[in-house]
Amino acid sequence: MDLADKLAILADSAKYDVACTSSGVERPGRHGALGSTAAAGICHAFTPDGRCVSLLKVLFSNACAYDCSYCVNRRSNPRPRATFTPRELAELTIGFYRRNYIEGLFLSSAVLGSPDATMERMIEALRILREEYRFNGYIHAKAIPGADPRLVERIGLLADRLSVNIELPSAKSLDALAPDKSKAAILRPMGQIAAQSAESRRDLAVYRHAPAFAPAGQSTQMIIGASPESDFQILRLTEGLYKKYALKRVFYSAYLPVVADSRLPALSTQPPLLREHRLYQADWLLRYYQFSAAEILSEDEPWFDEYLDPKCTWALRHPAFFPVEVNTAPKAALLRVPGIGPKSALRILQARRQQTLGMPELKRIGVVLKRAQYFITCGGRVAARGTRQEVAAALLDPGAFGVGVRQLSLDDFVARPLPGAAPAVHALAAAGVEAGRAARLVREEALQCLTRRI
Amino acid sequence: MPYQAHMTDTAYRYDGTFPGFLCCVFASFARREIPAAVLGPEEGQTTLFGSADIATDAARARRVAAGLARLGGTVRERVLTGFLSTDPGKDLALLRFARLCFTLGPRAANMLGDPDVAAAFALERGVNNEAHKFIEFLRFEERGGMLGAVIHPNHCVLPLLRAHFCSRLPDEDFLIFDATHGIALLRQNGAVQYLAMERYAPAPDAAEQGWQALWRRFFQALTIEERRDPGLQRNHAPKRYWRDMCEMWPDPAAP
Ligand code: SF4
Repeated sequence: MDLADKLAILADSAKYDVACTSSGVERPGRHGALGSTAAAGICHAFTPDGRCVSLLKVLFSNACAYDCSYCVNRRSNPRPRATFTPRELAELTIGFYRRNYIEGLFLSSAVLGSPDATMERMIEALRILREEYRFNGYIHAKAIPGADPRLVERIGLLADRLSVNIELPSAKSLDALAPDKSKAAILRPMGQIAAQSAESRRDLAVYRHAPAFAPAGQSTQMIIGASPESDFQILRLTEGLYKKYALKRVFYSAYLPVVADSRLPALSTQPPLLREHRLYQADWLLRYYQFSAAEILSEDEPWFDEYLDPKCTWALRHPAFFPVEVNTAPKAALLRVPGIGPKSALRILQARRQQTLGMPELKRIGVVLKRAQYFITCGGRVAARGTRQEVAAALLDPGAFGVGVRQLSLDDFVARPLPGAAPAVHALAAAGVEAGRAARLVREEALQCLTRRI
Repeated sequence: MPYQAHMTDTAYRYDGTFPGFLCCVFASFARREIPAAVLGPEEGQTTLFGSADIATDAARARRVAAGLARLGGTVRERVLTGFLSTDPGKDLALLRFARLCFTLGPRAANMLGDPDVAAAFALERGVNNEAHKFIEFLRFEERGGMLGAVIHPNHCVLPLLRAHFCSRLPDEDFLIFDATHGIALLRQNGAVQYLAMERYAPAPDAAEQGWQALWRRFFQALTIEERRDPGLQRNHAPKRYWRDMCEMWPDPAAP
């Protein structure tokens, strides 16, 4: 098999892994080495599904000894198999990196024989990169659940970021769908990584040249929609993971049926992309907006609103919190206003030290006022008055009604619901309603419903 | 206001260089006026206004540059980066911003509610955003051990790419050619220089075509068809960058 075919197979097998970020560590270049990293991460390309390509994201091998029911690479699924050699992979990484195609390598693998044997091959590839090629760019590696802790330690000294996939949002689902994996086998390396990176950060503070263990921290990902957990359960799990394992990111991957199996959603099921999107929005609220999971959802309301983002939902449930006075409110209160993000909040804080802010000033600062205007006052004056219907129209998330040409084939110029549109839009369109009309009908109904709620 | 100035309907003409621009700032203070326009050599040949030619004088430029440096990093960066913009009217916007900063001090940079400050900020952000796109999307080709890339930016972003690529490729020789403005950034044997250049067209050899084919193969394997959304792709990677990204080129015909 030539290298190009191998690459295509092993990239295709890795594409459902969602975490392609290269963020979390700032490391300038130095002579005698190749590469640097940027704290915010850098994207290098965008595929036709709109996702960022930052790293050479491949599996070391897709010849898996396990049989997880939701995975294309499971043992019982007939498909082409391939395995890199450590040196091939290192050369490929360097060749792509020098040409500015990528920020580095994201290496994961199916279980090649045993977890230990797999990790040893992965470690050899990373060792060649770091020691022989003196590669100083970004490396994200997966720790294989069940591998020896000493191997996890070794790979952590070579990689910038480590991750262990939690796979499914509960132990029960894990038992049902991934019989070879256990919750303990997943959480143990997570705990080890959290402890060792904390220790390494302490050492680095004392001895500048102590070896860094996964300096960009660890992340995890879980599959959404293959199992019955509610949004609230998932969000609470996320919050717990951030606290307990000091995770940098939790990623969600909308389940895309790849196999007919009575334990799983039917093959014709649409991947729940809007739900995935809402989870990311809520995750953002946890990390950057000082929200807690219990403020966003609850036992009584365990699902996200399809037509409103979680922050707007919160705002509508807490009318007494508003309006917020932009000239005096603390940052945390500004961050609760729909439409004001961390960047806008910071600029407001800076600007209001010099001058009193009214609507024209806010516009110049670059605050998006479409939603915010109904929730703020400027110098005691109400920023905008709108009818209930106007307010509702501003708050509805346009993404839920997205329609566009998806070019599913070269000569396809038909408008269809975009992947992230609400299920109701997809359903109407599937029933034969023209996509634009389907979106308008669903929006009309959502608007009426929301207007009544305000 | 310690320094009174009045609006005139005079336009300043200068040579388009950064020292020349600094001399316009100097002139604006010396003449106690804010000009109606600040025009480089190729702009607005016919104006409604009377115009004044502002000569470029190294000593004056240095004085203004030292003054800007005293105003701190934010002000200095905004003027320097904003100056790389090719938006019409950028010279006047930056002159007004610089004047305000000289009058009010460094804190003026944060007064984003002020029209002049907001205009300068928008210029700086436009240039930085475009430079960042090329940090993402620029593609090198290797030729005889040297890396070369061609880009087509709207603004003069090369100075903003310099630090990034010099740090990232500390021991490589490389050249980045800005085809829009006919300037190249050349780094050779550890030294960096800017060259005026009319054309640079490296044709990839067989080995390089092999790398590009591998990269395209990888790129194509990544798409999840069920998520296909070309509009989203264009939001992140607007079409105007595609000509400089080899994975977006049509597949070369099979031999
Ligand atoms: S171990 Fe990983 S690659 Fe193997 S079947 Fe399970 S999820 Fe797929």
